[in-house]
Order: sequence, then C-alpha cells, then structure tokens
Amino acid sequence: MNASIIGQMAVSGALMGLVYALIAYGFQLTFATSKSINFGQGELVMVSAFFSLTLLNLGVPYWAMIPGGLLFGALMGLVVERAGVRLALEQKSEGWILLTIIIGLFFFSAAENLWGRDDRPFPTPISADPIHVLGVDVTRLELAVAIGVLAIMGAIELFKRRTLLGKAFEAVSADRDAAELMGISATRTVMLSYGLSGAVAALAGILVSPITTVGPTMASALILKAFSVAVVAGLDSGFGVVLIGMFLGALESLASFYLGSGWREAPGLILLILALAVRPTGVFGKAVIRKV
Amino acid sequence: MFKQIVQGSLLLTALGLTAGDTVKIALTGPFSGGSAPMGTSARDGSKLAIAEINAAGGIQVGGKKMKIEIVERDDEAKNERGALIAQELAAMSDLTGVIGTVNTGVCMAGDKHLQEKGITKIICPAAGSASMTQWSKAGVKDCSIFRFAAHDGIQAAMVVEEAINRKYTKVAVVFDSTNYGVSGRDDMLDQIKKQGNKLEVVAQEKFNIGDKDMTAQLLRAKSAGAQAILIWGIGPELAAISNGMAKIGMKAPLIGGWTLSMSNYIDNAGKNGNGTLMPQTFIEEPITPKAKAFIDGYHKTFKVGRIPSPVAAAQGYDAVYLMAAAVKQAGSTDTKKVKEALEDLKEPVQGVIATWNHPYTKWDPADVTTHEAFRREQTVMGMVKDGHVVFGNDADRERLRKSALSATPAKIKGKKK
Amino acid sequence: MRRILLLRGAELMVFAFLATIPLLVVNPYALGLLTLLAIYGILLIGLDVTVGYLGQVNLAHVAFLGLGAYTAGLVVTKLGLGMGPALLAAMAVGLLLGGLLALPALRLEGPQFALATLSFAALSTTALNELESLTGGAQGLSLSRPPVFGHALTPPLFFWLCLALLALVWVVMRNLLASQWGRAFEALRDSPIATDAMGVGTYQHKVAAFALGSSLGGLAGGLYAFNFQYLQPQSFTYDLMIILLLGVVLGGRKSLWGAFVGATVIVLLPNLLSNRLLFQVFSGLGFAMALAAGLRGLVKKTTRPFQALAPVVAMGLLVVGGLFVENTEDWRKAIFALMLFSVVVGLPEGLMGFLSIFLAKLFRVPHAPLPEPSDIEAILPPRSADGAPLLVIEDLKRYFGGVKAVDGLSMIIRSGAIHGLIGPNGSGKSTVVNVISGLYTPSAGRILLRGSALPSGSLFRVSKSGVARTFQNLQLFGELTALENVMVALKGVYRSPLPLVLLGLARREESQAQADALCLLDRIGLKDQALTKAKDLTYGAQRFLEVARALARKPDLLILDEPAAGLAHPDVVQLIEIIKRVHKRGISILLIEHHMDVVSELCDTVTVLDGGKVIAEGKPEEVKRHPKVVEAYLGQPPQSDLPGDPSPQPA
Repeated sequence: MNASIIGQMAVSGALMGLVYALIAYGFQLTFATSKSINFGQGELVMVSAFFSLTLLNLGVPYWAMIPGGLLFGALMGLVVERAGVRLALEQKSEGWILLTIIIGLFFFSAAENLWGRDDRPFPTPISADPIHVLGVDVTRLELAVAIGVLAIMGAIELFKRRTLLGKAFEAVSADRDAAELMGISATRTVMLSYGLSGAVAALAGILVSPITTVGPTMASALILKAFSVAVVAGLDSGFGVVLIGMFLGALESLASFYLGSGWREAPGLILLILALAVRPTGVFGKAVIRKV
Repeated sequence: MFKQIVQGSLLLTALGLTAGDTVKIALTGPFSGGSAPMGTSARDGSKLAIAEINAAGGIQVGGKKMKIEIVERDDEAKNERGALIAQELAAMSDLTGVIGTVNTGVCMAGDKHLQEKGITKIICPAAGSASMTQWSKAGVKDCSIFRFAAHDGIQAAMVVEEAINRKYTKVAVVFDSTNYGVSGRDDMLDQIKKQGNKLEVVAQEKFNIGDKDMTAQLLRAKSAGAQAILIWGIGPELAAISNGMAKIGMKAPLIGGWTLSMSNYIDNAGKNGNGTLMPQTFIEEPITPKAKAFIDGYHKTFKVGRIPSPVAAAQGYDAVYLMAAAVKQAGSTDTKKVKEALEDLKEPVQGVIATWNHPYTKWDPADVTTHEAFRREQTVMGMVKDGHVVFGNDADRERLRKSALSATPAKIKGKKK
Repeated sequence: MRRILLLRGAELMVFAFLATIPLLVVNPYALGLLTLLAIYGILLIGLDVTVGYLGQVNLAHVAFLGLGAYTAGLVVTKLGLGMGPALLAAMAVGLLLGGLLALPALRLEGPQFALATLSFAALSTTALNELESLTGGAQGLSLSRPPVFGHALTPPLFFWLCLALLALVWVVMRNLLASQWGRAFEALRDSPIATDAMGVGTYQHKVAAFALGSSLGGLAGGLYAFNFQYLQPQSFTYDLMIILLLGVVLGGRKSLWGAFVGATVIVLLPNLLSNRLLFQVFSGLGFAMALAAGLRGLVKKTTRPFQALAPVVAMGLLVVGGLFVENTEDWRKAIFALMLFSVVVGLPEGLMGFLSIFLAKLFRVPHAPLPEPSDIEAILPPRSADGAPLLVIEDLKRYFGGVKAVDGLSMIIRSGAIHGLIGPNGSGKSTVVNVISGLYTPSAGRILLRGSALPSGSLFRVSKSGVARTFQNLQLFGELTALENVMVALKGVYRSPLPLVLLGLARREESQAQADALCLLDRIGLKDQALTKAKDLTYGAQRFLEVARALARKPDLLILDEPAAGLAHPDVVQLIEIIKRVHKRGISILLIEHHMDVVSELCDTVTVLDGGKVIAEGKPEEVKRHPKVVEAYLGQPPQSDLPGDPSPQPA
C-alpha cells in the first residue's frame, strides 16, 4: 500500500489520539492525588464546551472565551469533587465511582434541556483548510489542537514542578499521609486536582468541538478511549498518555483501513487487555512491590 | 381486599389517572440521547398540530367535540424501553393511537405488543424498512401499524437513480453501523442491482456512532476511485464525512438518505456540505402559506431559530392531522375503528407536506405499501446550498407546491408500486 | 429456629406474592415489568458476585447478558432446539467466556480491572455487530419463544418460568455463599495476600467467582432473548451496564435481597417516572424522608453534615424543579440522577443494607446457635518434636534493584524449636519471612522443608506445604467475623464437591468447621467474641486472631511476624502464654520480634540479622552480649530496637 496513504492515516489517527491523551491526562491528575477518577469526565467536557459556545454566542471574542471556559470547567470539577468524591474519600469507600457517574448523568440531562439535543457547530478563528506537509494532509485546526494539548500539559507539569502549590500536589501524590503530617492539606490538594482536571476537560472540549461539533453526546465515544489511554499508559505516567494516545489513534485508523471499518476498535481492545495482563500498572506506570 | 390493593397499585403504575372525554394519543420516540433531534422534532411537530386542533375546540367525534390528550414516552432509542412502553400503551384501554418512533429496533421490539392488541400506530418520522416488512413476512391478516415516512425503498431508489443520472459509474457505499445504516446499505445495493447494475460499488465502508475521524474510510473510497459517495446514516457523523473529504481533498458528492437535511449535518459540515443531495418530503422553505404558518409556529412555540429536523417535524405534524381525520371519520375514539377509518380516509387531509388523499388502504400482507403514506411523487431531491436545503431543481418545487395545495391523485386500491 | 422462619418466611412471601400477581391482574404491562424484574434479578445476583463479593467494578456483565441472549437466540433459530437447551447453552457461554476473560483480567484490580472488562464488553458488541452472517448484525435477530412440552408460553407462563429460575438461582447462591466459597470470596476482597497465605487460592476463586457470575449473566441473557424476542447488539452497551451497576449498589452489595431490590428500582423507577403525578408523589416522599433522616442523623451526630444535607438538597431540587418544569419526561434522566444521588449519599450501604439494620433492630434476629467446640486433640494432635532440621535455608538472596535486602542467609530451624529472628530495622527480617512464605521469589538460594524444596514465589503453594504465617501489618478479613476468619483458613474440613454445596447438602461439614474454629478461638481467648467482625475487635484481639487463623492451617512451621508489635503489656503477657500453648502442641515456630524480653522468654535459638546477613546466632543470652549485635543495635538511630528496650514499638 502506498506509503503516503498509510502516513495520512497514521497522522490523522494520531492527532485524534492527542485529544484522547488530553482527556486521559485529566484522569491522571485526580488519580494522582486521590486515587479516584471522575467517571463523568466526558460530561464535563461536554458542558464546558456548551458553556464556551454560549459565551461565543453572547459575543465574547474567541480568545477571551478560553479563560472563561476553563474557569467554568474548573468550577464544575470542584462541584464534582465536593458532591461526589470528598465524602467517599473520607469514608475510604468506592462510592465515588457511582457518584461521579450519577453526577455525569445529571449534567447530561441538564445539558440536553438547557442547550438542546442537537449537535451544533463550534466556530473557531482557525481555518479548517488542509495544508500539505510531507505528503500528508492536515488541517490547521488539527495542528492547533495538537499544540493546545501539549501546551496545557506542559504548563501543568511545569506548575507541579516549579511552584510551591505544585510541589504540595506532588507530595500528596507520592504519600498522602506523610504530606498531611508535613502540614499540607490533602483535601485542598484533591480540590486543586479536580479543579485542574475540570479545566483540562474544558480545554479538551474547546479544542475538539470545532472538529466533533458540540452536542450532549459529543464526548461519550471519546471518553471511553481516553480512559483506555490513561489506564494503558499508567494512571501515574504523566506524558506517557501522549505516546499511548497517539499510538491508539493511529492504530484505530490503520485497523479500520486494513480490517474494514467495523473492526476499527478491535485490535486496540485486544492489545489493551494484553498490555494490562502483562503490565497491570500500565506501560509507563510504576511497578508496585507488594508489601505486607 | 388483597386483590383490590394489588389491582389498584398496579393500575396506578400502569395507567395515567385521567379519564373522560378526551382523545388519548401517545407520542413516543427518543427524546434524549443521540437520536433525540429527530425524536423531539417529530414530537414537537405533533404537539403543534395538537395545540392547533385543541385551540379549535378539539375533534368532532360523533356528537361532541373532544380535545386531544397527550401521553408522552421517551424510549431513549433503546429497544428494551421501547418494548416496555409498547406494553404500557397496549395496556391502556382508552388509547386511541400512537404516533412516533425513530429507531427500527424499537419498532421491532415493541410494535408487536401494539399489533397484538390492535392498537393503531403511525410510525413517524423514521424507521427502516424492517419495521413494516416484519408484518408482511409474518403474513398477518390485519395490521394496525402504519408508516408515515418516506420509506427507504423510495429513498434508496432515488439515490441510486440520481447517481446514475449524474453519469457516475464507481461509487462508494458508506453507512453507519446501526440498524438504520445497515438496512440503508442493503436497500441501496438492492436498488443498484434493480436498476441494471450501472454502478460499480468500489468500497463499502462503515462507521460507528460517535466516530469523528473518518480518514481511513474515505481514503479507502478515494483510492478505489469512487466518484460519489452513497451514504446512509444519522447526524453529526455525516458532517464528519464531509469535513474529512475536504481535508484529504476528495471531491465527490454525498448522495444519501433524508437525514442529510438535518441541521446537525448542514451546520456542522458548513461549506463542505454544499452539493450534498438527499430525497426530501419537506423543505424548510415557506413555499405555501401552510408551510409558512407551520415553520413560524414551530419557531415561536418552541423558542428555537430553526427546526432541528424539519422533515421529522413536518411529518409529526401531518401524522396528527391524519389521525385526527380518522377519529372524526370513525366517530369514535376506539382504536380499532380509527384503524379502519385510517385505511379508508374519505376526505383529503390538508397537511404541511402535502394534501393527503386516501394515503392508506386495506392491509395486504403481500404489499406493505398499503400502509405506507408516502409515494414517489411527494419526494423530491433536495440539495444543500450555503447552509440551506434547496430544491435540487425548480420543476420539483413547482410540483411539490401544487401537490401541497391540491389533492394528490387518489391511490388506486391494491395497486403495486 | 425463629431466625430461619423469619428469613425464609420473608423470601417465601415475596416469591409467593409475585407468583400470584398474574392470577389477580390481567395487565400485560405490569406483567412485562415483573418479567423483566425477575430477569434483572438473576442478572444482578450474578453481577453482585464480582461487584459485591470480589469488590471489583465489573463492566463486562452486560456483554455476558448480550452473549447469552444471542446464544439462546441462535440455538433456537439456527439449530431449532428448544428453550431448555438454549438457556443451558447461554449459561455455558457465560461460564466459558467468563472464565477466559478472568484469566488475564484477574491479574488486575481497580481501574485496570474495570478497563479490561470494559474492553471485553466493547469487543463483544463489535463481534455481534460485525458477524452479520451469524447474528444478523445491526439488523438484529428476531426469534420466537419455542413451546415447552408442546405448550406455547403465554406471558404469565413465561413470567412464572423466569420467577422459578430466579428462585432457583436464589437458593443455589444462598447455599454457595453460606459455604466456604462465600467466605473465600469475601476474604479475597479484604486481603488477597492473606487469602493466598491461608491456602485458599485467590486465583482459582476469582476465576470461579467471575465465571459463575458471568454464567448467571448468560442465563439472564437467554431469558432476555425470549422475553423481547428481538435482539440488537447496541442494546448491550455501556449505558445499560451503568444502570446495572447502579442497581447493585443501590440495592445493597453482598446481598441477594439487595440485588432483588436493585433490580426493582432500575426496572420500575424509569418507567414510573413517566407519570407526572407519580413523580410528584415520589419526589415529595423522597424529600420528606431525606429531611427526616438528615435531621435525625444531624441531631444524633451519626452522619456527617454533608451526608445529611446533600440528599435534602437533591430532593429539594427535585420538588422545586417539579413546579417549574413543564415536561418532566424531558428531565427524566436528571430526576433519576437526583434520586440515585440521594440514595447513594444517604445510604452508602444501599437500600437493603439500610433496611437490614433497621429490620434487625425491629426483630432482633439472633444468630443461629454455635456448636460445641471440638476437642483440641482432634484438631491439633500433638506432634513429636525430634529436633531434626525442619526448615533449612541455604545462601538465600533477595535483591530489589540494587538493594540487597537479604544477602546470603543460611539458617536451620529445628523441629520443635521456637527460633527467634531479630535484627534492627531494615535488616531484612521481613524480607526473609516474605521469601519463605512465598510472597517474594528469592533471587538466589534454596529453602528446604524436611529435606525437599519449598515451593517459591507462591503464598498459596507454600501454605499448602505446611508453613503458615501471621502478618506484621494485620491482614485479617475485616468484614468477616472472628469465627469466619478462622474458618476460611481451616485445613482438611471442606471435602464436599461443588454440586453438593450448591444443593445445600454440605451443612454437616459446615458445622464441623464451626466447631473446629471455635476450639481454636477458645485457645486464644476469643470464643466469646466469635461473632464479632474482625474489624471491630480490639487491636490485641486482632493480633491473637492472626495467630488462631494461622493455626487453622495445622502447620508444621508457624511463622509469627512481629506478633507483639504495638501490643500493651498485659496483651504481651497473654501473647507469650498463647505462643507457649501452641508450642506445646509440638508446632515449630519462627518468631520475628523486636521485644527482646519476648524473645528471651520464648526462644531456644536466636538468629540476628543485619544488612541482610547473619551476624550472630545462638542462645538468647549469648546473642545479647555478642559485640556485633551490640554494635548493630547501637549504630542505629536512637529511637528503637535496643535489645531489651521495654517500650513497645508501634508497627
């Protein structure tokens, strides 16, 4: 098969994979501090996208809308933390799994009624016209998504390493009890992580919406893949999600080309089960020594 | 005592508590989830018609005017819910009829309960061929299920015809992985054979609901040399196809089912959607005063600037008028009598799509079109142009306007299409 | 007896009530709901095995429902067989594929397990959708109910069939869960490591539990197929899975009643909410209940403020929203979500968990009486202590990366001895225990038990070969009672094959096990607390329970890993007493300990470790004065470990 076609598919798939990676990164942020993830993260992506669209429709310029959207996402992340996660963590139960699902369901229904059930376009100043790079067609929009994804992940990683608050974050991730003894409030840090995770979800929504359109179901397919990426990469792997995300995206594209489009997801799923069986903590995850 | 409590509590759950001098009509369909734009458009179209009828005092049933009471049920596009809702409706002794359903699977799982009890249902606005052919296959003598949608057979025939007329020889068939998409594929392949195999299908590609990256499917079609894409699917995935084609520089028109006229395709595909062709029963253009009133009414009542799916809304609207006419003619709210009246509507019914003249005839298991209202002549080719669906050619506009104003030729009983 | 009457009576009444409904009410809708309720009951009981008993989020259950449904459908349509074979085939497919999936998935826990099962579910949907020639793909598969013994199954008959199967599943599961199997399931959720170390294979039980749950999913699928008579792959996806999961948790995990109540909620609630009047009744009632429960909780300080207030807010939102929203049908999912939210927050143990506490108070159901303890001579017959080498360790090494935790250790434990192993923190004591007991694989070296090699790298196999251990950081099965903790580990009692267990014909060995376990509890002075949950015991009692549980393995060698850690003085005295009693039965003991006084009093020989190497060995009094030992201990940070240091160290 023609090399440029393979290249085209790998690149298209990988760019989509970056979006999986960004949402997966949102999972990692909260998992690091609290060992919990928001199963309604997809709905967070969706409501943030709707909110940002509303801002645009109210006449807010695109670049001013972004911080607004991120703030809204962060706020929703905090709502999820307060309503769905904190109590369960205090009780050391796994109630958060159901509560986050339930809150997601509520967001979904609310969005359907507030913003309508229809998919809508999301305007963007970045052109969707293709440009030709090395024999492969990509759109500026896709490149912008890639840059946005890497930029925010880089920024948050820098924040974690360079600022005091960020170090508190790392400390709680490493050892919650020890961090508490050192006077770091684990509760606040978990809040911070959910806020950041919400902002990341919002950015994912803003970035991906021009490609996927905005609608109540916009993230339901994305989110399962993002979850896979997060777990396969390892829930504590940081940039590992980028590689796994791009790999999975490209694999899907190629599988759908060679196996027929109905089987698109099959190789990824099989690889995933195998990868987990071989490395339960993820490809880039830290191996855990069992201690008693 | 015990028995009464059980009876009471179960009836309470099974039935609404109202009764009296109303015509009870159930509106069902997916009002949440992925198929909701179609489901809610149809429902709201129906509600608009019901509001009009009720505002005019109701339906003349025998000696008195009766208002229409709505029973609304969201099937979430889930077969299981659909089956339960159908059972619930079938258990209502005072139900006059059911209008609704988008998903073929919901019809397959649920309609048998209605058919068993002989409850009249008008399938509207969509559902694949299987929703009717299941009855002809089963050879039922008497069928209480009607369909009010441009059935896939007509649409597929038009799509294939259009491709042939435009002198294409190599086409790709692209469809979504749901029942709707797959039966659309089968209909199109069937029509290609029927119309003399003038088209060579160079690729058959499938996509899932929620897929956003269609590059692989399109590259397969492109590298196989497809000149046009015959497509069957719903919603924003269709837009993803158009946008994906623009990205890889593939210039072939999309020709497909009427769902290509839904706003979630047109808006999201933007200028990449220009030139897309699809059969239409209603186009959101105020070509007649009735259409204008309908469009304005919809916008005003439901506080929207556009109808998510104009076709579904218009069909939902007309379906109510058909049902109302049948009730009036039957002079009864009894669902079985309404069914008989529906099979033999004496007076033309003025709808927004057309003036319906004897749309249904007595059920014949050998010919499902007896319970199909739409004919080839109510359907035209629409084309997307700058964010709107316009008539593919002007002759069609004139023809449709006439058919909406005057009565369509009466259908000859038992005649096969 | 009263207890049995109450419990069985309640079950009988509910089933009898359900069974009579079709005789009283001719309403196809009600019948449809009840049929679905019975099917979902089976489905959720199956799901509860993994979600409740194994404590894992299993997202593949919906796939087994689908696979079972398609299997039954295909058996009927393609092979032309009847309903019986179809249902059996559906179960078999669930059992088989469940077992297959469990093989890779069982290595995983938490999110990883959830993902592996989710992937399986997605794969099975893809397969059902793509194998068009077989399944009809997206077009779906239509089938009809084949007659049974020449009788067409009318809706009431079919309902009775489903109900009868639910009752059967109920009885079988109750028998299973009341047996060693049920205890093993719970044990491995609380501590997989201890489960393995007690000779109950985590691996086998996980696979078995998963396969069993999946086969029930398959059975429910078969019934589902005959109920709806039309199947489509899209019916069996994530959406439904979430609803099922909610059902199990809402109803209450680890409970047959819970699964049943959960099924009732998820079947009835969405369908009832369509009715505006009913919705208002429900939301009003819900608000009143949340308010009452919240206030009560706040006043009595039994709940946290959030737990008391959140349901009130959620239900209040529902009531207020109900006044403003014109069309409740549009908001159905949000309403459902708010109601679920209130229940999950307000009643974390689920509806049934809450009710059972309430009912227990109301009826004061006593536990069934326990049998008389067995004779210790029968359980732990005295063994001869000949002083021959029992456990021989030769040049044992265990490295973690560059860290040489154990570096060339050789030692001999003689039969009948109490052998002490001491050393400062980080000297490698725990690693030695973990290597011997099979948690770690040695990097090099040999371990021989009575001259033949001890299995390495498997807690389970080491345990089977006659070495039992306790854990420094307690690894009790917290949700099980003290009695059950011991019963889990009991060796040589459970002999009945699975079919007999399922039929409830293994009661005799069950009471035998109770008697044996009671005897061991008696040895450690916990007989009176036999029915207390392990997590509710005092710290000291928990330590003793570890010893009793290890004894239930009837070991040749008992390894006690810092049994006195954190114990107050009176408890230490009692511990020494217990160890002496054990030793009298002729059991050899390897004692790892910080407390020099404990070591001095008990041990015949002491080995001192430092830096993973033996630095001294001999009688306690000699070792204490050994210069290297003194140096090793004094070279350590000031806080601890000086031999003879009287203050106990927390673990």
